[in-house]
Amino acid sequence: MTNTNLKVAALVSGSLLLISCGSDEPAMPELSFEEALQEKLIMAKAGDVINIPAGVHEITRSLSLNVSGVTIAGEGMDQSVLSFKNQIQGAEGFLVTANDFIIRDLAIEDTIGDALKINESNNVQVLRVRTEWTSGPLSTNGAYGIYPVQSNNVLIDEAVAIGASDAGIYVGQSSQIVVRNSRAEFNVAGIEIENSTFADVHDNIATNNTGGILVFDLPNLPVQGGRNTRVYDNQIFENNTDNFAPEGNIVASVPAGTGLMIMANDNIEVFQNSFTNNDTANVLIVSYLINGLPLDDPNYDPYPEAIYLHDNQFEGGGETPDSEPLALLQSTTGQPIPDIVWDGMLADGKVAEDALCFSETGNTSFVNLDASNGFTQPSFEASAHACNLPRLSEVSLSTTVK
Amino acid sequence: MTAAIVRSLIMGACFTIVYACSESPPVFHDTERPLRLSDWKLFTITDGEFVPSQASLVFRPANQLFTDYAHKLRTLWLPAGAQAKIVEDEIDYPVGTILSKTFYYPRASSTELLNSSDAGLDKILLAENQLIETRLLVRKETGWDAFPYVWNDQQSEAFLRVAGASKSISLSGNFDSSANESLNFTYFVPNENQCSGCHTTVHPDGDMHPLGAILSQLHSGGSSNNIASESQLDRMLARGWLSETVASTESAESWQNQSAAVDQRALAYLNIHCGHCHNPNGAADTSGLILDGSQAPAVSMGVCKPPVAAGGGAGDLQYGIVPGHPEQSILLYRMQSIEPDEMMPELGRSLVHREGVNLIKRWIAEMPGNC
Repeated sequence: MTNTNLKVAALVSGSLLLISCGSDEPAMPELSFEEALQEKLIMAKAGDVINIPAGVHEITRSLSLNVSGVTIAGEGMDQSVLSFKNQIQGAEGFLVTANDFIIRDLAIEDTIGDALKINESNNVQVLRVRTEWTSGPLSTNGAYGIYPVQSNNVLIDEAVAIGASDAGIYVGQSSQIVVRNSRAEFNVAGIEIENSTFADVHDNIATNNTGGILVFDLPNLPVQGGRNTRVYDNQIFENNTDNFAPEGNIVASVPAGTGLMIMANDNIEVFQNSFTNNDTANVLIVSYLINGLPLDDPNYDPYPEAIYLHDNQFEGGGETPDSEPLALLQSTTGQPIPDIVWDGMLADGKVAEDALCFSETGNTSFVNLDASNGFTQPSFEASAHACNLPRLSEVSLSTTVK
Repeated sequence: MTAAIVRSLIMGACFTIVYACSESPPVFHDTERPLRLSDWKLFTITDGEFVPSQASLVFRPANQLFTDYAHKLRTLWLPAGAQAKIVEDEIDYPVGTILSKTFYYPRASSTELLNSSDAGLDKILLAENQLIETRLLVRKETGWDAFPYVWNDQQSEAFLRVAGASKSISLSGNFDSSANESLNFTYFVPNENQCSGCHTTVHPDGDMHPLGAILSQLHSGGSSNNIASESQLDRMLARGWLSETVASTESAESWQNQSAAVDQRALAYLNIHCGHCHNPNGAADTSGLILDGSQAPAVSMGVCKPPVAAGGGAGDLQYGIVPGHPEQSILLYRMQSIEPDEMMPELGRSLVHREGVNLIKRWIAEMPGNC
């Protein structure tokens, strides 16, 4: 519409109104970038691609998408930035409940809560997305960076997650998951797979977190029985950042200097990773009971079982453990904490081999902390764990995103 | 092109004439998304008063949600000849039904709004009140659809704001019987997705549905100055909007009912403020915290339950509810917070609801047991 048209139209309608009721036609409000984007997200149809142009776009309220089959595409994780520095509403930056969802090539920065939460969505791809809190590791940072929960067929590829006060990349209560080629840095947990089944976590870099990679199963959740995760070909080094999670959260109990931590999960295969200089321990395998929290869930199995480690490389680590029993162990032995640490807790009728098998090359060291007996008789004897378990199969994402 | 524009504007102007100058019944729009609230003809502004169409029923649910101390005027309208049925013990409204909820505050001065108890007016004098927003829930062929309309400063029209809106408000008065105060805050009008955040209780595949205009909520008289005290369901029957009596339904408990037991009031409060998401099928079932009244006050209601993904919302506390210790309970901490990443409910308030906090505080303080 040209200016002239507008003027003519305004003139006509104005005079008509004047004649009829003596009031002006009220004016439509203008939309900001943020409002226009949210409106696009609401009005989107399956197949739409919503572009986020290069630039830093300030967003003050949570964005959300409920329409399936939509792609959000930026021009690069350092070019297209959604900045929530001045966010005033919403518990997350971008909340998605939509199947067949792709988000790529953009950054979500400084959200007040979680950065990208994807709830109950199937067939999800998060590609070359960066979530970051730009002021460094602070307990006031949001909890999760990339956060799919109760979702299936999830691919996170070439993502970057920095500064989350809980987990940088967190997949919870989900199934069929691949997290690969990504980098997690300066989070409390770099990458966390929780209460999930069939996950492949590979070719990632986890460094400068409190704990590099966590595989947890927790009680009192609608989806539990976490199992079948493969952690392989990752570089997990120098995860020695002080724990900055707000108290009360389970990750607040992760010792600074943890490479990989497995809690209460079953059927986990850990192979071909390099663990370097994680100062509490390169690998911690524990039961939920180690937390000393009350447990009221008859359906929950707090013990890790069928954990299988092989062909990993260990270098350094365990020098300054951030954990009372481990610090005591270190001062008693005068040695760094061994590469693989198991709390030694077993379900009734189970033996050591049921919990943990490893066949590592080289001089891999091990300790059973004897946590069931108040850490009184730690054992460095690894022979009970010299066994092999069947390899787990590769996760194949069963549906290609349209 | 120009001619077409002029034509459409003339049509628009004609609508305005009808809207402003005389009453005509509400109009159901099935496929269009009117940008102006006036296009629905649900209200007129006559002699400085905002008045619902006489064809609508002004109603008030038994157990009400807190929205930053805003007053609310709710209407229900069914198209002529249409009738709601009772299906699976709930009202199934016919296509064309329009529910509205208008949020407003009394004025304290030209710049300040006044906190006072909501008398449940069935029309609003604009000289004494400020309209903020009107939300519609419309029953279409495809299901319920939500439309948030935001009033302009002149109070002459409300515009569809798909993406919501925000407004700075200064609210003065007595809050929770304490001294006179003035609270400055940003009032948020939800976007359409946020509407479904509460109105879709089965997540994610359920449909939106009404929360106030339901059997248990309409059983009471909607007690207030101007709303008749006979059962609101009877009023619907009298209009021919309901096909059968439903006397067997129980009325929802109101958290405001001072004569009810504290635990009943507390459960009613949690149900209406939290249960939309915190139910076994809701968006917040990921937390394992269920607050819709379907669970006993045990671990699934937060008693001695560690947080799952609360982040800073845990407030450095260990458990959702510590019996006898409201000050150690995350549930109360989150109700008392106004930080977007900590506060609960996440939507619908920018202020702390002090009366609600006091109720839940007392309930936890009196709860037996320990962690």
